[in-house]
Amino acid sequence: MNDSKKQKLLAIENLAKNFGGIHAIKSFNLDVFSGDLIGIIGPNGAGKTALLNTITGFYRASSGKITFNETEITHHPIHKIALLGMGRTFQNIRLFKRMSVLENVMVARKNYFENPIQYFFNRAQHLEQLDQSMDCLSMLKLADKANQSAASLSYGDARRLEIARALAGVPKILLLDEPAAGMNETETKQLIEDIQIIRSKVDSIVLIEHDMNLIRTLSDRVVAMDFGQKICEGSAQDVLSHPEVMSAYLGVDEGEGNLS
Amino acid sequence: MIADHLFFACINILLAWSVYVVLLSGNLSFAQGAFMALGCYCAGVLTVKFNFSLFPAVLLAGGFSSLVALAVGYPTVKLKGIYLILVTLGLTVCVRVLLENFKFIGGVGGFGGMTGADLSSVLIAVFIFGVLLYWFSRGSLQRVCDTVREDELVAASLGIDVVATKLLTFAVGAFIAGIAGALYGHYMNFVRPENFDVLLSIYVVLYVVLGGVNNMWGPVLGALIMTLLPEYFRILAEWRPSIFGLSILLILLVRPNGILRFRLPTLKDKGSFPHE
Amino acid sequence: MFIGQVLNGLVNGAMYSLVALGFTLIIGVLDKLNFTHPEIFMFGGFVGIVSMTYLPVPWALIVSFLVGGTLGLITEWIAFRRFKTSDSKITAALSSMALGLVFTDCVQKYWGTEPVSLPALPAWLEKNVLIAGVEFPYLNFFILGVTCVLMIALHSLIHKTRMGRHIRAVAESPINASLLGIDVKRVSQVVFFISSGLAAEAGFLLSLRSASANSEIGLTFGLKALAIMAIGGLGDMRGAMLGGLLIGIIEACLFVFGLGRWVEMTVWVVVIVTMMIKPSGLFSTRLRLMEARA
Repeated sequence: MNDSKKQKLLAIENLAKNFGGIHAIKSFNLDVFSGDLIGIIGPNGAGKTALLNTITGFYRASSGKITFNETEITHHPIHKIALLGMGRTFQNIRLFKRMSVLENVMVARKNYFENPIQYFFNRAQHLEQLDQSMDCLSMLKLADKANQSAASLSYGDARRLEIARALAGVPKILLLDEPAAGMNETETKQLIEDIQIIRSKVDSIVLIEHDMNLIRTLSDRVVAMDFGQKICEGSAQDVLSHPEVMSAYLGVDEGEGNLS
Repeated sequence: MIADHLFFACINILLAWSVYVVLLSGNLSFAQGAFMALGCYCAGVLTVKFNFSLFPAVLLAGGFSSLVALAVGYPTVKLKGIYLILVTLGLTVCVRVLLENFKFIGGVGGFGGMTGADLSSVLIAVFIFGVLLYWFSRGSLQRVCDTVREDELVAASLGIDVVATKLLTFAVGAFIAGIAGALYGHYMNFVRPENFDVLLSIYVVLYVVLGGVNNMWGPVLGALIMTLLPEYFRILAEWRPSIFGLSILLILLVRPNGILRFRLPTLKDKGSFPHE
Repeated sequence: MFIGQVLNGLVNGAMYSLVALGFTLIIGVLDKLNFTHPEIFMFGGFVGIVSMTYLPVPWALIVSFLVGGTLGLITEWIAFRRFKTSDSKITAALSSMALGLVFTDCVQKYWGTEPVSLPALPAWLEKNVLIAGVEFPYLNFFILGVTCVLMIALHSLIHKTRMGRHIRAVAESPINASLLGIDVKRVSQVVFFISSGLAAEAGFLLSLRSASANSEIGLTFGLKALAIMAIGGLGDMRGAMLGGLLIGIIEACLFVFGLGRWVEMTVWVVVIVTMMIKPSGLFSTRLRLMEARA
């Protein structure tokens, strides 16, 4: 891909989020370009999920600016941001347990208020949606479980369904919050493959993870956070051997140990 | 006599449905008394003072109720749980007091002269709304409501406008209640504001609780039981509130997980999206 | 007569506060909405009738409190014991509503639906008091006095006794409290007892004032107390007290200015407005977690 032609998809400028006296995010800056896969790492409490929540509108930014695809979305409501093309998953699985796997995805597919009457009556559109939803499921190897209850899925499958659901809205940018959490090695390997396939379907991916192997394999760039701030950014290799990053995670001195 | 009972049963079915519709997006509304009253008086004013004929008056009354619902609803639907209950109860009281204070529509003394509704008109209404609800339950808006009810934030993250959904169900619920009110008024011929008070709102919600909230038939069941059974069992009629209360208690004790855990059957039964 | 009206308003407000306090106690400590509360309030008046036939007024006061408290225990046992999970808060509220219906019906079966007169008040209550050249009914002061005593007693209980400490602990976190060895069930019963006792007491006082007991006041007067609780902030006792007095005075002012017709609606308008502007309540001194929990 020609670097100079890459479009800046998401621009976060001087973002800050406070809860009372707690500074969850302090003066954070990040640019995500079209085609990027950015990994975000950091110890627990670093503010990674808070960042994700603020970008997607779950938290209201205290200050700073977020621009998505040339539109400023800093104080937009959640659904507007989603409709502009952001899909996300959650740290703890939040599936619609009483619905089937397929329904979880179907419901994500459309803005019903765009044209409810037409949707209500239009059979062809419904079938098309069905197809596209099944596509999302197949991408994550869940097609055969389409009619199962979402509650009956194994942990690994449930996490994948979350991703499938986030994909259903055809997002430009996909934000994944610890998708591999709780997965064993095999499942994680599978997830890495799935994400590589997904990369072709979305413009960019931002990935919060603790699994360094996954980060290293997938990321173009890695951002390390601690105490709500970015402590460094660069290639996986560089970041993971950066002394500050290591001390944040391991509390080690420079030169001892290596995360990568 | 039987016609009377059936009439009231149908009105109660409509009212129960109006609560049900709002409940679909996760809000428990005690304002149906208010919307019923607004619908009744609106239609009454149109037919009595402006010589409208019944059918358009009833429709306009429904529309009027929904407009009020939309106006009041915008800040209201964002509230949750107890706050929503309070505000909707408050709405019922306020509407009643407002109606009592307007001489134009009779004030406390009541408003009369409304005619034209009979059993067939209300049966038609029940039928129409029944069909619409059934249709709706098989469609996609139903699923949207389910997601809003189950997890608002996630629904929003999927692009669903939660506030709009809640407003929509609130307005539709008001519409149905308004129509019920209009038909009620034109059957009874004479109504007073105190007919539409807090107790009515509470009863209507309890019909839905009694009958079950899993689907559109539960409210029908609850309404039918509480309206028709007392007519045929004297003792039930005399002790109606107590029996009602005790039945509710029993039902709730048997299902202690609470009614807000209800979900529409999506899998086993017919189904969600008609899969091919 | 302005002062007279304001005094009336204060007295009303005092009674609102008593009932609202009870409501708020249950919500603040146990996170439960007790819709039977208004009906216990209503019942207090009828207890008053019965007890005043046989007992002097001071004893009747005590009896009302005790009977109310007992009803509260019954309520807790029937309507709330089973519903412990947070999802079932609404269910518990609904079942208490249902129980309230049963109470009202029973009362109406026994006493009829019309207001029932109280036996004659003892002479010392019927007097008027002369203040600054204007005559005020002694009864009003009596009621205010009883209310003050009750509120002080409640305050002392909560802040100066061991049970009070337990109650506050449960209010903070039932789980932590039970981990510390506090019998949450016992606390729950105590809270219900006190709060319902207060409600019945308020009902008795109201019936003294209007010289009759009315089975309809549960849903009018009593529900207002619920609104007042929300205005003051759910779970906030000071808020309930101040809110009650505020509404009482506002209503009195409305009467003075000839707007008496709108009195019924006042409290609800205030609550609706409050919910829009500051859902945590006008007087709440601390940020309750109620909104998140609701």
